[in-house]
Amino acid sequence: MRGYFSRHAQVLLATIGDIVRDPVGSALTIAVIGITLALPAGLFAALGNLDRLSEGWHRSAAFSVYLHRQTAAPRQVAAAIGRLPGVQAATYVSPAAGLAAFQRLSGFGAALTTLKRNPLPPVVLVTPRRETPAALKGLVQTLKATPGVALVQSDLRWLERLHAGLILGHRLAILLTVLLGLAVLLILGNIIRVAVMNRATEIEVIQLVGGTDRFIRRPFLYAGALQGALGALLAFLIVNLAIWAIDGPARQLAELYGSGYRLEGLGLHGFWWLLAGGAALGWSGSRLAVARELRRRRLT
Amino acid sequence: MIELRHVFKRYRGGADVLADINFTIEEGEMVFLTGPSGAGKSTLLKLIALIERPTRGRITVNGHDLTKLSRWRIPGFRREIGVVFQDNKLLNDRTLFDNVALPLIVRGIGGHELRHRVQAALDKVGLLARAHSYPLTLSGGEQQRVGIARAITNRPPLLIADEPTGNLDTALSDEVIDLFREFHEHGTTVVIATHEKRHIQRLGKRVIALSRAHSLATA
Ligand SMILES: Nc1ncnc2c1ncn2[C@@H]1O[C@H](COP(=O)(O)OP(=O)(O)OP(=O)(O)O)[C@@H](O)[C@H]1O
Ligand SMILES: [Mg+2]
Repeated sequence: MRGYFSRHAQVLLATIGDIVRDPVGSALTIAVIGITLALPAGLFAALGNLDRLSEGWHRSAAFSVYLHRQTAAPRQVAAAIGRLPGVQAATYVSPAAGLAAFQRLSGFGAALTTLKRNPLPPVVLVTPRRETPAALKGLVQTLKATPGVALVQSDLRWLERLHAGLILGHRLAILLTVLLGLAVLLILGNIIRVAVMNRATEIEVIQLVGGTDRFIRRPFLYAGALQGALGALLAFLIVNLAIWAIDGPARQLAELYGSGYRLEGLGLHGFWWLLAGGAALGWSGSRLAVARELRRRRLT
Repeated sequence: MIELRHVFKRYRGGADVLADINFTIEEGEMVFLTGPSGAGKSTLLKLIALIERPTRGRITVNGHDLTKLSRWRIPGFRREIGVVFQDNKLLNDRTLFDNVALPLIVRGIGGHELRHRVQAALDKVGLLARAHSYPLTLSGGEQQRVGIARAITNRPPLLIADEPTGNLDTALSDEVIDLFREFHEHGTTVVIATHEKRHIQRLGKRVIALSRAHSLATA
């Protein structure tokens, strides 16, 4: 087993040696792969940021639940609403508290004191949990059906639009990932195919002295995986550099809207995904290319 | 060790190179394969080493029926035979050491044993001092000896050599043939294609002669 690992280590070292021996060619390959992978990775990073932004908007999607004025125990209704699934917080605002707030905020303070009777109903302010618009609509129906509730005021249109936009964005990102992943597979496959052809003599001699296909394939697979991984590393740097570059202006814009929102780059999670994806694409591309070439130059 | 029964070989689009070849070579035997240029000596050796497949007929080598040997068993089969090629087939971007080490490396042999065996093989052909030279810095005869060293490094039970003395002067040529005889005396089966009558007379071993008429005469 130790022999097995040391042999793999040797092949890996030889592969790194090949890359170092042809720095320009390898750099070009890695640059092409890096840029290709940076497109879907960047789109995913952008969607991640939009997703976080939508969280802020979500909080503003609070419902106002108006209760019947003659409800006997409005506080108990509010507590029941608070226990509903999908409700994060339910705050009870009594008619008196509502009037006080209205007086304070509207500037009609003096005029309102002349009213004989408080015209405001008891209200429950509901902050929903983060859910899809469909689930929120369901919550509105449940609230409407709750005994003691007179009216539910909600504005889900914005959220629905944002949600639809995000779903569309995710679909596009997946489509782009598949297409550009395929491109990386083909690019690396072709590069490895050329490498195999450049080593035709070597492969023939290895076959003549009893080398297996596995033995012949191994260094090419390592070369493919290594270049894929290095390309992924470059893509990671490109995306995070780009986000870093637009973070300043984005923050200014956010401040103008009174938000402390900051852009986030690809994190550790994204890094590993990208690295694993790049290496896997390089490995598979090489595997396909070498298998094809070996089939073509089988001696007997 | 080697048995051919009604073997025919025709390359794509050509006439029969070999037609109805029959012979047996016993284990431990040393045999010369002769015939004029183009008679099919190299072709016959390629059939035995499974580098080419016969058009018809049956070949058995080292207990393997070559017509039935599946593709994934071929590398294992090739490790049992050492082949010296007419055109050497050396890797010019690798040192003599690395060239000779190749049959061991593909078997997963490394470290001390590898070094020991490669040095022994290079020593046998008198090129140990040049272990870290590249093939193209060697004379034709020296390159041929590297090919021999690579064929014996694996210590195969069967050695096949295609004109191993083609580029050598008389003294070196004799030395190389004596080297093959030494392996034969240690139990290795040896098949050498050559048209140097001198060796055949000197050693007095069995001769399989191919004629250009594609038939076979055995002496
Ligand atoms: N790969 C090939 N494709 C087509 N024809 C071939 C091929 N290899 C050999 N031949 C033909 O087969 C015949 C025998 O060739 P071979 O190389 O076996 O002869 P040989 O006896 O080894 O000759 P020499 O003494 O010159 O090495 C020749 O006519 C040659 O042209
Ligand atoms: Mg020949």
